[in-house]
Amino acid sequence: MRSRFDEQLELLNREMITMGALCENAIASSAKAVTDGDAALAEPVFSLAEQIEEKEREIEAMCMKLLLQQQPVAKDLRTISSALKMVTDMERIGRQSSDIAEIIKMANISASGGAKEVHDMAVAVIKMVSESIDAFVKKDTSVARAVIEYDDVVDGCFNRVKKLLIDRFSQPDANGEQTIDLLMISKYFERIGDHAVNIAGWVLFSITGNRE
Amino acid sequence: MTKRIFHSICFVAIAVFFASVILIMGMLYGYFSDMQQKQLKMQLELAAQGANNEAGEYFSDLPVRDYRITWIDADGTVLYDSDTQSAGMENHLEREEIQEALSSGYGESRRYSATLMAHYLYTARRLDDGTVLRLSIAQSSILTLVFGMAQPISVVFLIAVALSVFLAVRISKSIVRPLNEIDLDHPLSNEGYDELAPFLRRIDSQQRQLRGQKSKLEQKQTELDAIIGNMNEGLLLLGEKGKIVGINPAAMRILGAEENPVGADMLTVSRDPQLHGIFSKALDGERDERTVSLATGRYQISASPIFAEEKAVGAALCFFDVTEKEKAEQMRREFTANVSHELKTPLHSISGYAELMRNGMVKSQDIVPFAGKIYAEAQRMIRLVDDIINLSHLDEGVEDMRRADVDIYDMAEKAVGELESQAEKAGVTITLKGGRFVLRAVPQLLHAIIYNLCDNAVKYNRPGGSVEVTIFEKENNICLSVSDNGVGIPVDEQERVFERFYRVDKSRSKEVGGTGLGLSIVKHAAILLNGKIELHSVPGEGTTVSVTFQ
Repeated sequence: MRSRFDEQLELLNREMITMGALCENAIASSAKAVTDGDAALAEPVFSLAEQIEEKEREIEAMCMKLLLQQQPVAKDLRTISSALKMVTDMERIGRQSSDIAEIIKMANISASGGAKEVHDMAVAVIKMVSESIDAFVKKDTSVARAVIEYDDVVDGCFNRVKKLLIDRFSQPDANGEQTIDLLMISKYFERIGDHAVNIAGWVLFSITGNRE
Repeated sequence: MTKRIFHSICFVAIAVFFASVILIMGMLYGYFSDMQQKQLKMQLELAAQGANNEAGEYFSDLPVRDYRITWIDADGTVLYDSDTQSAGMENHLEREEIQEALSSGYGESRRYSATLMAHYLYTARRLDDGTVLRLSIAQSSILTLVFGMAQPISVVFLIAVALSVFLAVRISKSIVRPLNEIDLDHPLSNEGYDELAPFLRRIDSQQRQLRGQKSKLEQKQTELDAIIGNMNEGLLLLGEKGKIVGINPAAMRILGAEENPVGADMLTVSRDPQLHGIFSKALDGERDERTVSLATGRYQISASPIFAEEKAVGAALCFFDVTEKEKAEQMRREFTANVSHELKTPLHSISGYAELMRNGMVKSQDIVPFAGKIYAEAQRMIRLVDDIINLSHLDEGVEDMRRADVDIYDMAEKAVGELESQAEKAGVTITLKGGRFVLRAVPQLLHAIIYNLCDNAVKYNRPGGSVEVTIFEKENNICLSVSDNGVGIPVDEQERVFERFYRVDKSRSKEVGGTGLGLSIVKHAAILLNGKIELHSVPGEGTTVSVTFQ
């Protein structure tokens, strides 16, 4: 009985990692599309977002089944309940990645349009998402804490981008549409960073049992 | 075994004890019966004597003994019985012993007496007056005998059992001890039972065989481990559900695994979607081969499923590093494209001028300048082809190049001399400094190095610029340095200038001349001469290239 439960937990773990990898791909693709200004690069993000959503439903169903049939306690219960919460954050990451891709597709932002600041922000956010998944995979609290702290870097990036965009508006030949699009994209990035923080928080909870 | 022997010995001892008791009892019984019979007969004789002498009075005061005495009349009527009242007794004439006694004077018999419910021995004698005197005694049965002897027998039994248990323990231990003490690691050194010798010999030969096979296996295993551990290709074995069963150091490096991940889920080591696709396909029983970009480079990954009983139970993944190979392939492709482009450009000019001339569209006084242009382009092509040939010679590390002792200063002087007129035209001054050093080198290669470096220094310079060739000794190595104050090379292109046909300023290439192969030739020649090239350049300020010969 227990061995079957262990098997199911392992399967859940694998599915979570797969979903995390899909999220990493989605955010990496849309970030690359932003920094290179190439809308074609954003194309795969839409199908990735769909796959992520599908995975979310699968994992939710799996967790519900485990909760009902096995009635887990202690660590197992934490693992499953935090998985339930994590998939929501992951799904949001996927959805927001596809939102970014949508903007790029419509607005056709040129490579020079996404300045160095936006690029830095994209790199920082990708790092956060990757490391939050890493923290989950390795069950490593120090990595999870590092992700939570790293959010300040992303927030700093967002503020710099914001300043840059304000400067752009004040110029006489300002391209208003592009500037607003960039602002939205960076806001999405900032939100994705927050979701990565949430994931890291749930990883911490599943390991320590404390909600920090 | 000890137990078994102990049990057997005890069983045998007890069985022998009982058998002998039974036999002895049987014999004792026969002996006692005989004795009883004889005694009875003797008593009868005595009683008969008494009865004959005393007639009827003999019985009147006869004390009752162990015997039963019966006096019977000749017609069978009982006249006296010591045990019961004679009056009510039946006629005894038909009794066997009475009949016998009446006819022969003495008779005996053995009967079960229904009256007294026991075996009785009877003896009878005819007295002188014709009456019969009979004596009888109850015969003790075997059981009574046994019961009578129960106490001593049981004492003897207990002693026998104790003795047999004691002996059985000792004996069974001493039988088994040599077996227990057999040293199976050295079977032939054992003494003990000769019957075991064939087994021991067999064990010895099998042990030797086993040792041989084990060492062979171990050797194979170490060989295999060494090969797998040291090979550059990554090897990864996955069990069912993607659990890592085996991984070699190269694969760990490729996947960026920090600690040995054996037993972990493959996904925890790398969640690269392409890699995931490959190994999950292999786990489903399908071969796959793909080139994948991982964080550590580009790898060609071939995955094959491992089958057991027609079912895929795992997968073997092989990682081949194709980073360098793909780079080299790309360079080769670029080279081919460059060569054809470089060769085509002068040909186009030549063909264009020649076409104009053929169609008679050139005035006669223009023919000479046109021919001059065709000549110049043809010369350029010849230079280009020469350079390419030189380069391919260098690529192959041509053997016919003999090393000789060369004065490097002389070589530099010669190269500078060849370039003087060109430098003058460009308004550049060349100076040569330094000492005379003798170097063991291939003269053609050394010349190619100095000439090409100086040629570049002059070409990529400004009017009024200067080129300085210095030869000096540094840490026991001879060093040649060519520095100019020309245009310089941008930092991010300094790596690439040694590539074939690579031009920093592509638009000026025709104007400056040159083939784009100069530095490439320098690089290869320096490699063949064990030289080390260092490039130091600041855009707009100048370039210094130094070659250190080791």
